[in-house]
Amino acid sequence: MTKQDLSSRSVTIRAENLSKIYGDFAALHSVSFSVRQGTVAAFLGPNGAGKSTTMKILTGYLAATSGRAEVLGLDPGDPEQRIALARRLGYLPENGPLYADMTPRETLEFVAQIRGLGSSTPAAIRRVTEQCAIGEVMSKPVAKLSKGYRQRVGMAQALLHDPEVLIFDEPTSGLDPLQIREVRQLIRELGRSKTILLSTHILQEVEAVASEVIVVGEGRLAFAGTIDELRANSTVEQRFYELMDKKKKEAA
Amino acid sequence: MSASAVISALFRKELRSFLGNPTGYVFLTLFIVASAAAAFLTDSFFSRNLADLATLNRWMPAILMFFVPAITMGLWADERSTGTDELLLTLPVRDGEVVLGKFLGALGVYTVGLLFSLVNVVVLAYLGDPDAGLMFATYLGYWLMGALFVAVGMVGSMFTANTTVAFILGALGCASLVFAGTAPWASAIVGVVLLGALGALKWAVYFGRAASIGALLSAAIGLLLWLGGARLGLGTWFSDFFGSVGAPSHFASFGDGVLRLGDIAFFVGGTAVALYLCTILISRRHW
Repeated sequence: MTKQDLSSRSVTIRAENLSKIYGDFAALHSVSFSVRQGTVAAFLGPNGAGKSTTMKILTGYLAATSGRAEVLGLDPGDPEQRIALARRLGYLPENGPLYADMTPRETLEFVAQIRGLGSSTPAAIRRVTEQCAIGEVMSKPVAKLSKGYRQRVGMAQALLHDPEVLIFDEPTSGLDPLQIREVRQLIRELGRSKTILLSTHILQEVEAVASEVIVVGEGRLAFAGTIDELRANSTVEQRFYELMDKKKKEAA
Repeated sequence: MSASAVISALFRKELRSFLGNPTGYVFLTLFIVASAAAAFLTDSFFSRNLADLATLNRWMPAILMFFVPAITMGLWADERSTGTDELLLTLPVRDGEVVLGKFLGALGVYTVGLLFSLVNVVVLAYLGDPDAGLMFATYLGYWLMGALFVAVGMVGSMFTANTTVAFILGALGCASLVFAGTAPWASAIVGVVLLGALGALKWAVYFGRAASIGALLSAAIGLLLWLGGARLGLGTWFSDFFGSVGAPSHFASFGDGVLRLGDIAFFVGGTAVALYLCTILISRRHW
């Protein structure tokens, strides 16, 4: 996707000078970026860079200390707008938390009931079961599932209401190479019709699925642009390390 | 999507979670055995020669002090320890709906326990001729007192991701309601603790941190009001005031077969206040 293609699209996710401060520690420091409609954007950074904090703010789980977040034109920090946003947003939190005593079917039925899917629930469950390939474990308690299956059940609940925007926090974390390939394939397919923001600290993942990249380090924005712009006559890996070194010096 | 769908989904989830777990049945069995023992395995039941539950009424607050926190300890602590709170609170749900759904689920579990304990009434009917109105009032009192304890136990579960700590906090909260009013010093201590807890909450809401400073300041004010008030000749108003939050004294009328509006309002109002506190505590993720 060229930069010209991207700039013609409207902005779906926008962060303006987002900061999150815990006591004396700044988890996020004035981070700004935007993700355009129908693109897959990778949120890249080492552990503790502020990726999950940003995603928690964008989904309305946490409030920013300062700055403004906007998803689909809605403010996740506003209680009423957060509800409207949650109806159009699918979110996979970090480590794919699920209720251990429920089966994947019960989990999806629970989420469907909360989302008010009503009579469309069986069809929605069939769709995500196929999309995420969890058919063979639907009746096993989540506690007995492998990390890979749990992650896929987490993705299934995020896709259940066929949302316009997906936010995945490290969707391939803990998966084996074959599962990683399947999940990346799924993200590419979903990216044809949806806006996706996914966080990762795996450099190859960025090139495999994303068209836009946002790099953060030490809670600060290091880069926001297309993959080609990130490479800039170098490799993604080389540029990533350069950016991280620069941010470490700035933070120090 | 309606509020009732969210509340109903959470109610069913909590009920299934507790009753689908062997530990849940252990707690229910212990509750039924403890209530039957308190009702009948005392000398006074047979020496009084009356077909009522007066002996159980004396013990019920203490039994609930341990049984109810066992139901509520995992309500929030488990969500926080497994991270499912993030999943739940990013669904299209309002904080109040989540609190109400979970409360009703836990209250449902308590109600199941209470229904099983109706075996006490069956035994009474076998031994004598219990008054139906008295039994109804007594069990309504148990249910309302249990509802208040469930709400207080939920508040305890909000403060930690550890279920054991949540149980202890819930039991301490319920113990405050059980012991307030039993003696002036006990009421005063409950008052100091309650003021400390309110101070911690207020401080955390306004300043977002260092709740312990608010707790210490408020508790110190409570101590001054208690000890200073008595020395300045202001009487025992502090201990009298907090003595009025004692659950046993408000339950007594139910045990006598009387439905007093003030006592019903105490339990319903106390439950509403505790649930409101839970809603504030859920929203602390935004502080």
